[in-house]
Amino acid sequence: MNVFFEQYFDFSIMGEHFGEVFEAFLENLLIFLVAGVIALIWGLVLALLRQLPSRKAMPIRFLTIAYIDVLRAIPLLIIILLISGGVPFLNFIPKDIRIPQWFGKPDPFWYGVAALVFVYGAYTAEVYRAGIEAIPRGQMEAARSLGMSHFQAMRHIIVPQAVTKIPAPMLNELISLLKDTTLVSVIALSESVLISREILAEQLNSSALTLTAAFFLVICLPGARLVDYMIKRNQGKVARGSHIEVA
Amino acid sequence: MAEPMLHLKGVHKRFGQLEVLKGVDLEVQKGEVICILGPSGSGKSTLLRCVNLLEPPEQGEIFLEGQDICKGPGSGTGEESWNLDFVRQRVGMVFQQFNLFPHKTALQNVTLAPRRVLNKSKSEAEEKGRALLERVGLGDQLGQYPETLSGGQQQRVAIARALAMEPHVMLFDEVTSALDPELVKEVLDTMRELAEEGMTMLVVTHEIGFAREVGDQVVFMDGGVIVEQGAPAQVLDHPREERTQKFLGLVLER
Amino acid sequence: MSRTRLTAVFAVLLVAIGLIAAGCGGGGSTTGGGSETGAETSEGGGEKLTVGSDIPYPPFEQGKKGSYTGFDVELMGAIGEEIGREPEFIDSSFETIFRDVAQGKFEAVMSAATITEEREKVVAFSNPYYLSEQAILVAEGSSIKGLADLKGEVVGAQQGTTGLELGKEKAEASELRPYPEGPDAINALKAGTVAAVIIDAPVAANAVEETGGVEVAEKVPTEETYGIAVAKENTELLEQINEGLATVLGNGKYAQIYEKWFKEAPPKEIFSLGKGE
Repeated sequence: MNVFFEQYFDFSIMGEHFGEVFEAFLENLLIFLVAGVIALIWGLVLALLRQLPSRKAMPIRFLTIAYIDVLRAIPLLIIILLISGGVPFLNFIPKDIRIPQWFGKPDPFWYGVAALVFVYGAYTAEVYRAGIEAIPRGQMEAARSLGMSHFQAMRHIIVPQAVTKIPAPMLNELISLLKDTTLVSVIALSESVLISREILAEQLNSSALTLTAAFFLVICLPGARLVDYMIKRNQGKVARGSHIEVA
Repeated sequence: MAEPMLHLKGVHKRFGQLEVLKGVDLEVQKGEVICILGPSGSGKSTLLRCVNLLEPPEQGEIFLEGQDICKGPGSGTGEESWNLDFVRQRVGMVFQQFNLFPHKTALQNVTLAPRRVLNKSKSEAEEKGRALLERVGLGDQLGQYPETLSGGQQQRVAIARALAMEPHVMLFDEVTSALDPELVKEVLDTMRELAEEGMTMLVVTHEIGFAREVGDQVVFMDGGVIVEQGAPAQVLDHPREERTQKFLGLVLER
Repeated sequence: MSRTRLTAVFAVLLVAIGLIAAGCGGGGSTTGGGSETGAETSEGGGEKLTVGSDIPYPPFEQGKKGSYTGFDVELMGAIGEEIGREPEFIDSSFETIFRDVAQGKFEAVMSAATITEEREKVVAFSNPYYLSEQAILVAEGSSIKGLADLKGEVVGAQQGTTGLELGKEKAEASELRPYPEGPDAINALKAGTVAAVIIDAPVAANAVEETGGVEVAEKVPTEETYGIAVAKENTELLEQINEGLATVLGNGKYAQIYEKWFKEAPPKEIFSLGKGE
């Protein structure tokens, strides 16, 4: 049992490498912020494209649904490896885009962000969709009867209401995204898991990984509790009747 | 006689396999109030929704101020080929479930469409909006959100909202059916005033009293067709058709 | 979904998982040793000897399971013959490989592993069996000619290797990227996402020959030697391995295998180092 604590809870190793691991964890947070913001926007775009009503827009709707289905079905890890393994070789793309070194961040950072955006865009699109579809049809009908175009109705009536329904499931997706930033370690980005594994190889001890796990716990656990709280509060609201539910 | 405001000819509407409107003909003169009665499933709501193209009809013609709104460029399959803007800016609708925008105040509900669709300035729209809300008796509720208003108040806001677009025809789809009985009167009063000011109105309703007093014509629908049509006194007190008699018998017993 | 349908789906899933697990468990699992130190006798060579190794790492270990080849594989085979054991190579991750052998996951590690003080805290090494140096691998025609030119460049290496250590100490790289596998680093070099890779010299030479498009800019002698690692308590096995190694060094087998894989004769020093002199 002693060995267990030695392997995972060696505090002197944790202390020695604290700064290193923490700095690397900040990298995870950075990926999370960048990819998260972009994915939230991209997901909304996808959700709106999917809602286009006219017959002419059917190919767009079809492509959007196909995109969402495919990207939720392929493991994120594979997408990361596909992007970083293949894109650099696509010579028809100019080097600055093919091997991005934007804002001082190396290419694995951007490949990782890209993969996360592609995949989480699909997941957030579904959350938006649920929010949009929860809005009673009468809202769209009233808006259209008043002469608003589909786009105007979406912009002023549907989407503003939809986004108030989705914080809980959206937060869930974001927590998932934060955890998945660790997958970028597989393409040699110096984030917390990679650094911890290096320390593991040097010191033959897993305590740095435990420390990393602790960092994630500190953020994700309260996050999950917050989601639970939001869901409960929303259920209370519906029960007390502040929403008009269509009979 | 002048050209009718609204003229429906042979309108058919089907939902999948189910044919809901089986050939409806109706003429509405300017300023007329047509009250439509009938059992549920008779197609009366659908008829209204065809007039403002929420449900485009499969077959038939609907002339609004002389223009056939069912015809448009192209094959007429997608919504775009129907003259949508022309219709929606001349025809206003009030719904059974109010459908107010819950995230906007009463005034905002009324001014939103004039600002975004008619491109009126904020002050212009608000001035008009205030006047309309006063007209329906809600001048002191401008800043209230729908959830704080009673059903009757909400429905009156909905009427003001539709009027803000300066429609030529107003459609009322069972607008008092979802209200508590004591709130029905205020809405009917508003509608009566509107009629007296000369608005052309199509009113689907169960309120026989209203039909009798305010209606210029009463239409009885059943099974997707107009069974009987005429002056209120005639249809309501001396119905000719058996189906009409049956329906009225049931309704009046209440 | 109705309750009964849900239950039915779960039942089907459980059965499916059960069948798959049974299939996997039955069909010849090859997780090595654990506490068993040599149970099955396999045809020909005697008792099995489980050997952990990070595969692939050409030309030391490469190939598919069941038909691994490489310098390490063949040398271990030769040593095994001498001591009456049949080595079975098991693919493992390099960064945990020393801890794994210390805890008995397999009996030995033969993985182009450099003998270092740090590692000797956890495992015991045989006498050296290979003299190594690091190489700086670059794209063909690169302007990088040596360690000094790495200043300010993006450099790759494999996680947990002495190549990475060298990079940290001597190269003033703008970014040092640790890849999970050696070949990943080489791929990155070919893709152009890193400017150079620091990796064991023979691996670099192999890359030049096999994959092409890359060249060795400089060889950096580091006086590194490779050893076979075993758990510290396993003094008996260690003795046997050292004896076997000495034998193959003396009878020409070592030289034969060396020339096959490195296309040159082994350096004189290895003969004395390998015998523990």
